[in-house]
Formats: sequence, C-alpha cells, structure tokens
Amino acid sequence: MTDAKVSQAGSIFDPDLLGRCISCGFCLPACPTYALTGDEASSPRGRITLMRALDSGTLPPDDPTLAEQASFCLGCRACEPVCPAGVQYGELLEQWRGYQWTGRHRPLAVRFLIFAAERARVHRIAGRLRGAARTPASASGPSLMLGCFERSLFPGVSKSALALAPELAVPGRQGCCGALHAHNGEPERGRQLAEQLGAQLPGQIVTTSGGCAAYLAAVIGRDRVAELSEYLRDKPFGEVRIGDRRARVALQDSCHLRNGLGVWREPRALLAAIADYVELPDAGRCCGAAGTYALVRPRDSRRVLDPKLDQIEAAGIDYVVAVNPGCLRQLRQGLRRRKSKVRAVHIADLLRLAGADEPAGKPGHGTDTRVGPVP
Amino acid sequence: MLDTPRIPQPVLTELRAIAGPENLRLADGELAVYARDATPLFHGMPDAVVAPADTEQVARILRLATDRGIPVVPRGAGSNLCAGTVPLAGGIVLSTVRMSRMLEVAPQEMLARAQTGVTTQALNDAAAAHGLFYPPDPGSHTVSTIGGNVATCAGGLRGLKYGVTRNYVLGLTMALPTGEIIRTGGRLWKDVAGYDLTRLITGSEGTLGVITEVTVALLPQPSTSRTGLAYFDSLTQAGRAVASILAAGVIPSTLEFLDRRCMDAVEQYAHLGLHPDAGALLLFGDDGDEAAVARSFERIAAACADSGAIAVQTAGDITESEALLTARRCTLPALSRLGSLTILEDASVPRPRLAEMVERIDAIAARHRVTMATFGHAGDGNLHPTCVLESAEDTEGIARAERAFADVFRTAIELGGTITGEHGVGAAKLPYLEQRLGTEQMALLRRIKTAFDPAGILNPGKLGS
Repeated sequence: MTDAKVSQAGSIFDPDLLGRCISCGFCLPACPTYALTGDEASSPRGRITLMRALDSGTLPPDDPTLAEQASFCLGCRACEPVCPAGVQYGELLEQWRGYQWTGRHRPLAVRFLIFAAERARVHRIAGRLRGAARTPASASGPSLMLGCFERSLFPGVSKSALALAPELAVPGRQGCCGALHAHNGEPERGRQLAEQLGAQLPGQIVTTSGGCAAYLAAVIGRDRVAELSEYLRDKPFGEVRIGDRRARVALQDSCHLRNGLGVWREPRALLAAIADYVELPDAGRCCGAAGTYALVRPRDSRRVLDPKLDQIEAAGIDYVVAVNPGCLRQLRQGLRRRKSKVRAVHIADLLRLAGADEPAGKPGHGTDTRVGPVP
Repeated sequence: MLDTPRIPQPVLTELRAIAGPENLRLADGELAVYARDATPLFHGMPDAVVAPADTEQVARILRLATDRGIPVVPRGAGSNLCAGTVPLAGGIVLSTVRMSRMLEVAPQEMLARAQTGVTTQALNDAAAAHGLFYPPDPGSHTVSTIGGNVATCAGGLRGLKYGVTRNYVLGLTMALPTGEIIRTGGRLWKDVAGYDLTRLITGSEGTLGVITEVTVALLPQPSTSRTGLAYFDSLTQAGRAVASILAAGVIPSTLEFLDRRCMDAVEQYAHLGLHPDAGALLLFGDDGDEAAVARSFERIAAACADSGAIAVQTAGDITESEALLTARRCTLPALSRLGSLTILEDASVPRPRLAEMVERIDAIAARHRVTMATFGHAGDGNLHPTCVLESAEDTEGIARAERAFADVFRTAIELGGTITGEHGVGAAKLPYLEQRLGTEQMALLRRIKTAFDPAGILNPGKLGS
C-alpha cells in the first residue's frame, strides 16, 4: 500500500512557468547547493528537469532523487535575478513541494513548525509575555506586522521598530503571513493566511522580516508591503560608535527580500549612514537559515553557513546585520558556536541604537544590552 | 532500460573503485538531469554519471570503457548549444566538475594553467589579479568551463579583435580513449615539433579524448574599455554599417547586432532603456589606451552616422559598458520570454556578405512562416538566427523551423560561409556537416577519429561518426 499520488501528466505545475526554462545553465554559479555538490541534480536547472520528469510521469512521484532534491533546495531564489529567461523558480518550488510534501512525506520539523504557526493565540500570549510591541489597531494607517516566531524569539525587534516609527499601529491580534506554509507544501493555506492578514491590517503593512515581506507582497500586492529598511529609508539617524570610533558593520541580505522583492540597496544605505559599512564578499548569498531549512537539514544548513562565518570573521567588523529573524537566529547561533567577537543584530535594533539624527539625549548610545547575544 | 542495465555490475564496481563510490551516480532521477544540455530537442539518458578527480582517473575510466565498449560523453558545464554533451547512445557521462582547480598564472610568461573544469570567469578572475586577461568570452562565460571552451573552440564577443579560443590555447593534457595520457604543446610561443595536435583537439567536441588540463596565453589588460550603441531602422542597415566601420580601418573589440525582437526580449530582462522604435541596434566596443579608444569611437560613430543611424550613444562609464555587454550575452535566454521553445543557429558568412545574409534570412523566415529573431557577432559575420516557438509540443512548427534552418545553412554555404561559426557541430548540425566539408574531408575526419578512438566509445553520434 502506498499513499504516493499517481502523477497526472501536466497537472502539478503551471505549464507556462515550467516551460520557461531553456536549460542555459546561467543559474549554476548562483546556486548554493550546486556549489556544495557540483551535481547537476542539485542545481536550479537540474531541479527544473526533475520537475518536468515528475510532471510528465517520466519519474514516479516516489522517486528518491525527487524527494531529496525538493528538500535539499534552500529555496533562496538566488537563481531568479540571474535568469535571463525570467523563470519564476520560487513559484515552481512552492508547487513542487505542494505536491511532494503531503502527508507522511512532509518532513517532521516542517509539520511541527506549521502546527506551531497555526497557534495564533499562543503567539499573541507569548508576544505579550516576552514584551513584544503592542498598540491599538489602526483603521487605515500603516501597521507593523509581528512575525509569528519573532514575537517570542526576538521580542525586542518589534519594540525597536515601534521606537523608530512610533506612527505604526501594532495590534496584538494578527495572524501569520503564510510564507511558512507556502514554502513548505501548503501553497493554498499560505495564500489564505496572507489574505487574512491583509484584511486584519488594512493599509500599508511594515515588516521586520524580509521573508514575510516578499511573500505577503506576492499575495496582497507590492504596494501594500514595506520591509522596515524600505519604510525608513528617508529618515535621518545618528551613528553607532564603539569607543571613539564608528562601528564597523556588514549586512547579510535576506534572500527573498533581495531576490524576490529586489530590496538590497535600502538596508545598505541606512547602515552606511549610521556606521562604517563593509560589504561581505557573499552578502547576497543564503546563510543557510532558509526558513525551515536549518531545522529540516541542520547539517547542510551549517555547510552553507560556514564559509559565510569565515567571511564575517575575516571582515574585521563589530556587527553583522540581519533583516530577517531566521537569518538573525542562524548567524547568532553560528557566531556563538565559534565564540566570535562579532555580534549579529537585527537592523531595527542597530538603527535604534544609532538614535535620531539630532543628539536628543536618547538613552543607549553604544551599549544597548538588548543588542546582540548576551555574553 | 531498468531491467537490463547496459553497464555490467563488474564495470560499475570498477568505476566506484576508480572515482570513489560517492562520485558515481546511477539512480534514475540523478541520471535524468544529465540527459540534456542547453540545446533544445535533444535527449539521451545516460546509464551512469561519474565525476573523476584527476587525469589518471579519467584515463582509467576511458581504458575501461574501451575494453568494454561502453560510450563515454565528457561534460563540463553542459552549456553548449549543439547537443555536444547529450548521451545519445547512453553509456557514461564523465563530468569534469571535480577537476576545477586553477593551477597557475605566470605573469612573466603571460600564461595560465588550469584544470579542465575551471569556469571561464574564474580563469579570467585569476588572470585579472595579475593585470592580465583571457580574451575569449563566450556568452556563457560565468558557467562554461575552460575545457568545454577548448573542446568547442568557443567564440564570444571579443572575437573580431582578439580571435577565439584556438588563438589562445598553448598546450593541453588529454586522456586518450585507449588510456594513454598525452601532453600537447606547452608553455612555448614557438613549437613546431610534430603535427599541431593542440589545434586538432581544440574544437574536437569530446570525440578524440578527454581534455583534463589547459594552458592558455593571456594578454595585458587594456587600460580603457568602452561600449557604445547605434540604432538603425533595420538589421540589414546595421549590417551595412558594420562593413563601413571595417572599411574605415577600425577593428573594434566588439561589434554585435540585435534585431527588434531581440531588443525587446533583452529590454524586458535588463531594463536598459533601449530605443523604443529602432529596428536594430549595433553594440560596439573597443579597448586600449584612452586616446586610441577615443579615436576609434569617433570613427565608428561617424561610420554609423554615414550609414543612416537613427541615433548613436556612447556609454559613459565602465558599469554601463558592463551592463550592455551582459545584456547582449543574455540575448538567447532572454528570447525565451517570447516563446518557450527557442532554436538557434550559428551560421557564419564572410563579412562583406553580412547584410545580404540578413536579408536572405528574413526571406527564409517568411517563406517557412516562422518567427525568427536574429542577433550575432556582426563583426565576425557570425549570425544567430533564432526560431521562437510557443511550445516544444508544436511538432508542426518545429518541422517548419527545421526546414527554414536547412535553407539558412544552404544559403550560408552558397555565400561562402559555414554552418556553424562557434557553437559547434555536436549532434545538432552533424546532418549538415557533409554539405560544408564534402565527402573526402568527412572520410578523413572518420580516419582521424579512428586513430584516436579505435573502439568508437567517445561521444558517439557526434564529429567523426
């Protein structure tokens, strides 16, 4: 007995999306998993060949290479901006996992995380207990979105965001953006959640998570979503100092923010204004957090992270800045394991540390203990 | 195919022993991704994929394959456009991906040595660290391997002034199908000891042996490089401008043209702000010392204006130049925005016949009712007419495209040209090769092939078959 579905030719993927790829291979150098293996099967081009084989029935749905590659892919979408043919790989991956990751074929860690993400009330209470930001709802003004897991893992981030943009409404009653579901085999549920969130927070939605921003924008419209650094781009800030010098900082891009929404200049401009900015050689490459990936495939996640940690440690910086809570967690844990002196911070926290442009006697210049890991 | 594995167990055991078990792939899904390269419409499932680590391992695999009569298809990045790496007869795909070490850049000798799997870009980056550069720059240079470049004698955007891959290969290490390892040429600028095997192997498309190491000549990096654009009403007119630029005694480093369809596709991808109404654009570039580049730009601009250019732009800075060149390199993949099946060709004609060839291509496209987008290396007389079709299931459309291309090849030969300027013959153009070479040369090619590969295991169905 098997619960593997019988593949109906051409029913799994949007044929227009799947037909776009011409196998030119221009995506190969951009792909972190291809860099690890050198195997065509773990390249975007190879995975699209696999999707086609699944779609046409050439490979059975329970083929082990299909299962392995659907899971080995980080889903970072670094292949999209380099694709001259405009293949929407992220969308294809969602459709692939939507088919592949059903029932018992879904990784355990994914099942657990989706289960957890669905407990909206738990997040609300956890956020309240941990001290995440909260204000009354707003009927039309911009609202701050509270990430499901960010509320309890990094409650200071939303507080910093609110301090930077006090005009934002932060209602406690808000659901998940659905990105987690969409990227892990439940595209319909993901879309539904994003639409619900769009209704709960009317007007512009500001988010401290690049991943949520990209997904939400794809569902409810680009014009309704702003990632925090986009939202703050025209604001003046002070600077972050370490002793008598400006702090040295580097950015780790959020993959979906960069590759999905094309936002990468904005956080750099902000950081260059408040500190001495250092560009890491592979700042735009995935850190290995990749949503659920760090939990589903911890070993591969570390293999992706390790060269990045080398670069971070070699760059002579004080802070490495994340624009997504998953990346923040990944970098922080990695640096902690190495007992590195470099601290990983969320951009909201570092901007708050920089304070407003005029020296208004704001507290916390240079020594905010909420920033970075507790030693 | 599953029931009767074509590679016997003892051979698989030996392949594992040679390359390491983790470097042998046998599962259906793992093999399926090696069934094609960047060429549409050609598929062939391999029976095994093996990734050896060095020349000795390659030689042992080849020797084994010759003994057992198993086909071997060498594969670099699989970015070629002639189905040169499609395992049409099954067998072993030999991936060069693990042989990807830069071995040496020798500035005093102006040469570099690399393992076969180093990407063209990585080779160039290594050279750049010494103020040198490797001129051949095929469109796929970020992904293509140097070994693959040599095997196909890859061209690129700088061919007009700097030539193509064959002009830079000084020496090769190659494993023969019979298991011997040969080293041709070397580090010498002058060396006429023996037949020029280096040149014979360059462009041999993996049919004579497997290239494992390459020594290439480098040049000093020019101090300035600039790129400009001229717009014309039609591609034919742009073709005439090319003739008048060359007649003015200028040899630009780059002279590329694109028709309107290609411009639209590139614009959609790169958002460069290309002219909205022009029928064609000519992309020109030159490098060298600043004063010389400025002089050559003046003459190019004047020649374009005299040939009826609608507008001439000369890009300001290097980033803009790079954006233009990058966009040009992406023309083929960008064209797939117009339809999911793009079949491109690579005919080449003597430069004075370029405008005529462009006109003939238009007529051929109309006669066969196909949508043809044309771009190419205008300065080399090398054209890439590309058929854009809605889908790979459009068998009737594909048949019309094939008839149109047969006419394109015939016309190119009639004008004194060739069926492929730089993409190679592979499986895609083998049926047309005899038209170009004649029966005597075809027979000689087969005899050469047999001398290298008596068992006929290497890349069957390609050159020399």
